Amino acid sequence: MALAFDEYGRPFIILREQDQKTRLRGLDAQKANIAAGKAVARILRTSLGPKGMDKMLQSPDGEVTITNDGATILEQMDVDNQIGKLMVELSRSQDYEIGDGTTGVVVMAGSLLEQAEKLLERGIHPIRIAEGYEVASRIAFEHLEQIANKFEFSAANVEPLIQTCMTTLSSKIVNRCKRSLAEIAVKAVLAVADLERRDVNLDLIKVEGKVGGKLEDTELIYGIIVDKDMSHPQMPKQIVDANIAILTCPFEPPKPKTKHKVDIDTVEKFQTLRQQEQKYFDDMVQKCKDVGATLVICQWGFDDEANHLLMNRDLPAIRWVGGVELELIAIATGGRIVPRFQELTTEKLGKAGLVREKAFGTTKDRMIYIEHCANSRAVTIFIRGGNKMMIEETKRSIHDALCVARNLIRNKSIVYGGGSAEISCSIAVEAAADKYPGVEQYAIRAFADALDAIPMALAENSGLQPIETLSAVKSQQIKENNSYCGIDCNDVGTNDMREQNVFETLIGKQQQILLATQVVKMILKIDDVISPSDY
Amino acid sequence: MSSMMQPQIILLKEGTDTSQGKPQLISNMNACMAVADVVRTTLGPRGMDKLIHDDKGTTISNDGATIMKLLDIIHPAAKILVDIAKSQDSEVGDGTTSVVLFAGEFLKEAKPFIEDGVHPQNLIRSYRTASNLAIAKIKDLAVSIEGKSMEEKKSLLAKCAATTLSSKLIGGEKEFFATMVVDAVIAIGNGDRLNMIGIKKVPGGTMRDSFLVNGVAFKKTFSYAGFEQQPKKFVNPKILLLNIELELKSEKENAEIRLSDPLQYQSIVDAEWNIIYDKLDKCVESGAKIVLSRLAIGDLATQYFADRDIFCAGRVTEEDLLRVAAATGGTLQTTVNNVIDEVLGTCDLFEERQVGNERFNIFSGCPSGQTATIVLRGGADQFIEEAERSLHDAIMIVRRAMRNSTVVAGGGAIDMEISRYLRQHARTIAGKSQLFINAYAKALEVIPRQLCDNAGFDATDVLNKLRQKHALASGEGASYGVDINTGGISDSFANFVWEPAVVKINAINAATEAACLVLSVDETVKNPKSESAQGDAGAMGGGRGRGRGRGMRRR
Repeated sequence: MALAFDEYGRPFIILREQDQKTRLRGLDAQKANIAAGKAVARILRTSLGPKGMDKMLQSPDGEVTITNDGATILEQMDVDNQIGKLMVELSRSQDYEIGDGTTGVVVMAGSLLEQAEKLLERGIHPIRIAEGYEVASRIAFEHLEQIANKFEFSAANVEPLIQTCMTTLSSKIVNRCKRSLAEIAVKAVLAVADLERRDVNLDLIKVEGKVGGKLEDTELIYGIIVDKDMSHPQMPKQIVDANIAILTCPFEPPKPKTKHKVDIDTVEKFQTLRQQEQKYFDDMVQKCKDVGATLVICQWGFDDEANHLLMNRDLPAIRWVGGVELELIAIATGGRIVPRFQELTTEKLGKAGLVREKAFGTTKDRMIYIEHCANSRAVTIFIRGGNKMMIEETKRSIHDALCVARNLIRNKSIVYGGGSAEISCSIAVEAAADKYPGVEQYAIRAFADALDAIPMALAENSGLQPIETLSAVKSQQIKENNSYCGIDCNDVGTNDMREQNVFETLIGKQQQILLATQVVKMILKIDDVISPSDY
Repeated sequence: MSSMMQPQIILLKEGTDTSQGKPQLISNMNACMAVADVVRTTLGPRGMDKLIHDDKGTTISNDGATIMKLLDIIHPAAKILVDIAKSQDSEVGDGTTSVVLFAGEFLKEAKPFIEDGVHPQNLIRSYRTASNLAIAKIKDLAVSIEGKSMEEKKSLLAKCAATTLSSKLIGGEKEFFATMVVDAVIAIGNGDRLNMIGIKKVPGGTMRDSFLVNGVAFKKTFSYAGFEQQPKKFVNPKILLLNIELELKSEKENAEIRLSDPLQYQSIVDAEWNIIYDKLDKCVESGAKIVLSRLAIGDLATQYFADRDIFCAGRVTEEDLLRVAAATGGTLQTTVNNVIDEVLGTCDLFEERQVGNERFNIFSGCPSGQTATIVLRGGADQFIEEAERSLHDAIMIVRRAMRNSTVVAGGGAIDMEISRYLRQHARTIAGKSQLFINAYAKALEVIPRQLCDNAGFDATDVLNKLRQKHALASGEGASYGVDINTGGISDSFANFVWEPAVVKINAINAATEAACLVLSVDETVKNPKSESAQGDAGAMGGGRGRGRGRGMRRR
């Protein structure tokens, strides 16, 4: 690329490796960027809504992912284009913040870009467009607040929460048992939620999956599942009212960290050493027994000798349990993690109503269930499914549902789904547009048109006539002054989303609009792209 | 390139050919103007951003200094512009685009004179005089905000910050961020401790979700099992800050213990455990409820603290820890012995909170209040990066404004006024200098002109209106600048488009210096592009390049 030429027509060498860089500037840069953004959005468009399709993605090492989740699709696509990457990050931030609506936000941004392109062709300054969008997004933001409904639920009445989670799950492959999954998600979130502080730590919900069985077998366990088995095959498989010692020290003689050497020069000394080792084992087991433990869970392993001793003394044990799981077990059972045998006391034991080892089907796989815990602040969702891909997708879907439930606990407001909120915003923005003097008016109107993209895509994906359906719904909304009319994706026969019970969280929707506007503004503001030319 | 194995000969040939005298001077000026053209479009509220993609990643920026740095300019004369952008950045933090534009424009105005055979030194002398006059005029025009009440001062500072932010990506929320920046700067007081303002970046959310913590906030550090059982909220806790490891480890790396009697084994083990337990006990005894360490806090300690309802975090970065120390009034301890109450910090509220996808430890309501942390949110990494740069500019501006307390009208108003003043002054000078000062005055008009160009207005039209206003004898038009919203002109001062005087002063100073420097060079000896092998061994001279061995120069 040449920045400038001197009097004799020779280029200046101003930049390092100037000839290896390409530079795109002005309207061309904007057009190229918009095209890239639109391309990404187009890929996701067909995934939107309950009748949206899934994508199959193969990673470089051959692993196959089938998903409907926007953030996952983009993440795995490995987008190379810079603007494309911005779209990926857009989807990711929606995922981080809200956890749901990752497809919608990209579709929205794509459609905003499409509208911006038209305006650019008319010669409107890109910043003016961006500013118009910003004004419009604020109108839409406030409008959403107006049409939102507050939503009362309590620990006893969780139905509204379940309904909202079902809306999220309906677009996923697992929608055939969305009811039961939604219930699981809601119960799990309520179990760990701190309703007073409106804080939910999703880390306390463990999602575990196992191939086999069917999706309907997915269950919520008020406790923890560990993918381990008892250290000795002859140990009891079921322990009622277990007192659990949670250890982070191995069942072996303690070792000083400092380098050490034991000089053995006589047979007697060797025997004392041997005896002492055995005494250690003995003491350890005895110590556990003394404080009343009926189950030992250990972060480290123990050798056959200790294992045998434990077996003999009738003390079941589980070894090699990971740190995170150990912590969850401690939280669930109300126990304390004990770093040293000397510290072991009765108060530090965790309590669980039932610990059992469960085998699955004909496989040898076993898992340990720790249930009926004293404190069910940590729960596990155990997913079953036909194959690994299915389980992975179910995990993602459950994650979305968990996030939705969490968001509702944070903020009780909801808006109605099925594109109704977007249509309503579009009408409001369109009406407000006329009040703005100047070029921004066009941009605001374009924003309103862009908002139509989501219901349009919904209709298209559901096999309906997009334009006819949208215009019908829009006129209905204006005529009846009813912001609950949306696209009837499942052909239930009514447009009223209240009757269909299709809800989305208010913050999720608001976030979508703000995030999409923000990124579009960023893309529009670029008028100069300098990159290595092999790109 | 193998044919160029004997660079001297080629160098001489080429050197005598073009790199001397007037052609060289003009060539240098052209190069500088070309560079100025790159950043030209980023000026002002309607300025555009640049996307620069290199092997270190992608940057989207509107900040002149950042763009100049990333362009990786190697042209020796053009490099001067990079340097002045940098110096402007480190000196005042904002106006980096303006300074480059000024320099480019000064050279552009000088070019016809050079072509007509004026001696560069004549130009240089006149430019210097003009710049001195201009600076004196700015000082004269500047309005002091000293002696106002705190409330008033705050809103005035916010105006300055808003002017800086208006040209940035976060311009849409400039009031929101301006108040945030002012609060942060006021919080840290007058000290020269910019690092007391922490900026944390969390992807996700919208920029409106950004918030200011009147204290310290940092991301949850790596934690061991047991951490979740610690309490996550304290009111008025005592805070112990450590710089030691709380972990079971060998006390001495090279020590070795020899045991002859197996019975002694236990005592060694106990001794080791006692060391660590002793440390932990002392932490607990100090009465602290929160223990932070720059080094690791191991799983044993985590569980020990969890048992005693104490919150701990290990591997806190040094700057965060220093901020906590400053905020809470605690002192960093390198030992747990003799921990007295005075070295413990405290704050009103400590809490672990979810921010986006991360959990954050937030200390708020700190007694000394000399720190502030801004948690930035945004849709994409590049977005947050750019927001951080913008906030940095705004912070610098507010700090500058606080210290110097004089502001001038922005939006090109001050530039137009100096330009008018210089033109008027030029008429009183006899001789060539009159022309040069006039040229200087014309160059200063570049700011309002570029503002109009970027916004898509008719620059000539707007500039004529401005000239008319500024020429009014009464002087009432002195603060008129470009109105970016309507395409007309308006009183910038009344519309609160303000910038600290020091930004303008520094920009004019630096740009004039740079222009004079370029003008004074009449010969460049530059050796030809050499292959990498030679380049690595050769003297990279003043080149700050990352040694790819290309395009190096020797003076």
